[in-house]
Formats: sequence, structure tokens, C-alpha cells
Amino acid sequence: MLSATLHRSSTTVRTSLRRTIATEATTLSSTPPRPQISAAVILNRSPFLTRTPSLFERAYYAYQARVRRALHNPFPFDFYFKQGSLLEKRFIQEERKRERRAFGPQFGKEENVSEEERAATKAALETLAQQEGEGEEIVTRVHPADTSRDYKSLDRHGPRNLYLLLQASEGGRDIWRFPQGGSEKGEPLHQAAYRDLQAECGDHMDTWIVSRNPIGVYKPPPPPSTPSEQLTFFFKAHIMAGQCQPQHASIKDFAWLTKQEIESRVDQHYWDSVKDMLSDY
Amino acid sequence: MCPLAAPTSATRSVARFGRAPRITKHLRRNRETNLPQPHVNILTRQFAPCRLEDHYYTTLQDDLMYMTFKHGNPEVLKKQRDIRLKFDPDDPYVQNRYNPPVGGSQMGRKPAPPLTPENVIRLEKISIHTMVKEAISTKSNLLGAIMALRALTGETYKGGGRHTVEGIQIVRGKKSVGGWIRPGIPVGVKVDLKGQSMYDFLGTLVEFVLPRLRDFNGVTLPPLSSSTNSPSAVSGVVSFGLPPVAMGLFPQIEVNLDSYPRTYGMHIHFVTNATGLGAQNRARALVSAFQIPFLRR
Repeated sequence: MLSATLHRSSTTVRTSLRRTIATEATTLSSTPPRPQISAAVILNRSPFLTRTPSLFERAYYAYQARVRRALHNPFPFDFYFKQGSLLEKRFIQEERKRERRAFGPQFGKEENVSEEERAATKAALETLAQQEGEGEEIVTRVHPADTSRDYKSLDRHGPRNLYLLLQASEGGRDIWRFPQGGSEKGEPLHQAAYRDLQAECGDHMDTWIVSRNPIGVYKPPPPPSTPSEQLTFFFKAHIMAGQCQPQHASIKDFAWLTKQEIESRVDQHYWDSVKDMLSDY
Repeated sequence: MCPLAAPTSATRSVARFGRAPRITKHLRRNRETNLPQPHVNILTRQFAPCRLEDHYYTTLQDDLMYMTFKHGNPEVLKKQRDIRLKFDPDDPYVQNRYNPPVGGSQMGRKPAPPLTPENVIRLEKISIHTMVKEAISTKSNLLGAIMALRALTGETYKGGGRHTVEGIQIVRGKKSVGGWIRPGIPVGVKVDLKGQSMYDFLGTLVEFVLPRLRDFNGVTLPPLSSSTNSPSAVSGVVSFGLPPVAMGLFPQIEVNLDSYPRTYGMHIHFVTNATGLGAQNRARALVSAFQIPFLRR
């Protein structure tokens, strides 16, 4: 789609040039001015947690794990454990637990050991678990930033892609948009994108622009006053560290948002151009 | 689409234990082992979410597409010139004439296919192999290497009923080289990893082994002057070797390192779907995205 757009814009330029040459003698006012090109950055925070599987996915995984467990080749106990060692006992106990979870509580035969021996093993395994620090708590998958709806935090929505959006006042109204800015003459567009990002969001971020190729283009509906075409080319970038610190008074706010949250904030026309560049997950 | 786990679904059990179905027809039994033979080929597929695979689909795939995409109108792009006239059977001139084959090596001259969302570069498989020289004299010397690769990859011979994946395989000699090797004798072990086990191995390699490996700064790149048409430059495979000390750094082997007769070095090949000119560079971009460092000499 992008290449088609680029191609179309280049043909427009070419036809306009041809028209200039052909109609030079008659009129010069009919030539449209050159399009104003600006660069925008889609700054992405990649997911840092695995996706939570759906109920269907968990059922599928559990079924596949049961099939695998039922068909697996025998485990070489004597290769990995010293016979009768505490570690071997613990492994057998855990393995029995996993088997019962997979095949039901009736699975497997009870081992015939005396009550005292069983109690002694249990006590020894508990001391071993304590020594190895198994009682440690696991950090929750929901961050405080999620519960407090802190849109500025980079820790929110760990399993999803987040994108940086700025709230800027343009033409007398506040709009949400990606960081963007104009390009200077002779400056490569990807360098202009990096410079504009720093100009709007400060240099307290460690970022990387993925490609020198733009990933998409936005053409706003032309206002009647300015006949020149406006084109905004988007570049994808990743944030590694740091945080956005708005540099201008014109930028009221910033937020790290998922794709769905972006839809409710931006204009419909803007959304139609950018939605395919954003990741659903 | 709710990104955070709904508390109800996290507690619901996904294993149901009803009464087993009534057996109406007994399974055929294997004559040698007397074990029942299922009448369908049972396959096990992915049995847990895979972290690196998710990472590929959420981040790397898009990035690699943007990095390797070549802009241009396909109608305008210069068509490859045919080096000579094609054999046209309808042409009366060529009837009953000899159709000579195309001369010259076409290897490495084919341009890469146009990039589409379907053929973005991806990892197809990881192939690991190790050669044990002592196995030429005594076959049993292979056992240590077999056990080590089993521990490394979690694969066994047709393990988990998976007859589509060979698991650990024995490599046999092909040629007769005087005083060294004879055809048919076992000399090494290899394993092909795909899917989940491939990503698990890659994660272990990158997180536990390479950072702790001394004197390893990265996979050495060939010099800039090297040919871009050579078979290795257009096959889309990234290969490198690990010394025997690296085997002791895998956590699966570290736990009982003294159970192995010795440590074995190995060759690792990352096989990708990249083809055509510049395939090796695209394959390196993919592999380095999985945090394998590269180094220019």
C-alpha cells in the first residue's frame, strides 16, 4: 500500500512538472506547490511479559502435554540422580503430582512405605525446600500502574505493545498525535524523524529507529487556505530506557497507549491511516 | 480482547476426568513388543506458550520486514534480462533441433523474491551436530554425546510419539578416507530442532551459555571482500561452532557434569527461510535479533 502511495505521489510530481513545461507560456499559477513533507515517529514499547493464554489455549496445551506425557520415552533416573538420594525422592514426588494432575487423582499405584518413613521424607524435603528459598513470592503480572490507570508509566500493560502519543494544541484545539516535525532541505527523512523526536520529547530516552524506510504515510484532508499537499511519513522506533519529557509548552500531555486506546483519542481520518501500522497485541 | 487474565478463567480447570470410553474394538498389537498400536499417527504439538516465539510475532517480524523491505514499483523495476532465447516448441525453427541446457552456474545469481507479509524471514530450524573421533575405534564412545544432546535439547528418538521428528540421529561416515574413516561407521550425532524445542534451546544458549563463555565476543563475520554469490552467502543459514567448555555451561548439563565421560564441542546451524541474493545478511539480522552477537574481524 505504501509503495503504491509513494509511486502515486511521484507520478503527481512528474505530471505537474510536465504541465509546467507545457503551459509555461500561458499561465504559471496553475502549478501546485511542492508537498510539505514531515516525519513522525511511532515510538513503541515492546511487550515484556508473555501473553496470558486464553481458556481454549490452556485446554489445548494441557491436552498436548497429556499426550506427550503418555507417550514419552522412559526417563533415565539413574543417570541424573544418585539412587535413594533426597533429590531423587523429591523429583519422584513432584513427578507423581504432575502425573495426577494430568491423568486424574486415581492415576498410579501407591508406594508401600511405612508411615514413619514417609513422615521422615516429608520433613527432609521441607527443610530442603526452605534452604533453597522456595517460599519466595512471585511478582504479580498486574503492575500498580495498571490498577491506578497511570497512562504515563512504561510498566503498564506488560504483555502488550504500547505507543507514545502526544497531546498538542494545533490550530486552536488539542489533538492527540504521534511525535512529529518538519524536515530540513537535504536531510534524510529518518534523521529528521530522530531529530524531531528529540525536539518534542527530550533526549532523556534511549531510542532506536528500526528502518530507514518509512512504514506508512498520512495525508490530512487539505484545508482550503493552503493549497499545498501535506504528507507525514511514519518511522517505527523502539524505546530501550528513559522516559518522555515534553520540551514545548504546546505539548500538553503524553501517554503510552495500546492500539485500542489510541483509537478513542485520535481523529477518525488520522486513525484510518495509522491503524495498520500498530500491533494488535 | 482483554490483555489481563480474567480471574475466573485462571482458576478453571482445563483437564476433565470423566469415565473412559468403552472399548469396542481392541487395538492391534505389535508382534515384537506386544504393545498396542494406535490406528492413527499420534502427533504432539506445542504444549506450553513459547516466550521467544511470541517475541518473534509481536516485535521481530514487523521490524525485520521494515528493515529488509525494498521500495519500488514492481511494474517499473528492471526485469531480469534473459541471457539467451528460450526454447519455444511452437517455433518451427527449433522443431527437431537440439535444446541445449543453460550454461554457467546460476548459483547465487537469483535475486531475492519480493517481500510479502508471508515470506518475512523466520527461523525454520536449528540443527546441532557433534563429531566424536573416538567413536571410529569404539562405537560406545558415542553414548556420551547422545546423552549430552538428549539433555541439551529434550529430544529423544521418536520421543513423545512424534514420528515426524527424528530426534537424536546418528551420523555415519559416507566416504572411505585412508586411515581415518570408512563408509557406514557411526562417527557423530545430530539433532534437528523445530518449533518449541528450537526456541527453548535458543533461549538457553543466549541467556546462560554465551554470556558465560570466556573469549567469546561474537560470531565472526566473513571479511567484506568475500563473495556474495557463494553458496554459503545465498543459502540463508547462519552457522557457528561452540568449544567443548560451552557444553558445561548449559544448565541441563551443569547439574550433573561429572556423569558425562567428557564434554563435546558442537556445530550449530540456524536455518532460515531466506533465499536469493543477500540471504545470509537477512539471516544474520534475524539471528542477531535473538541476541546472538556478531563480530567483524
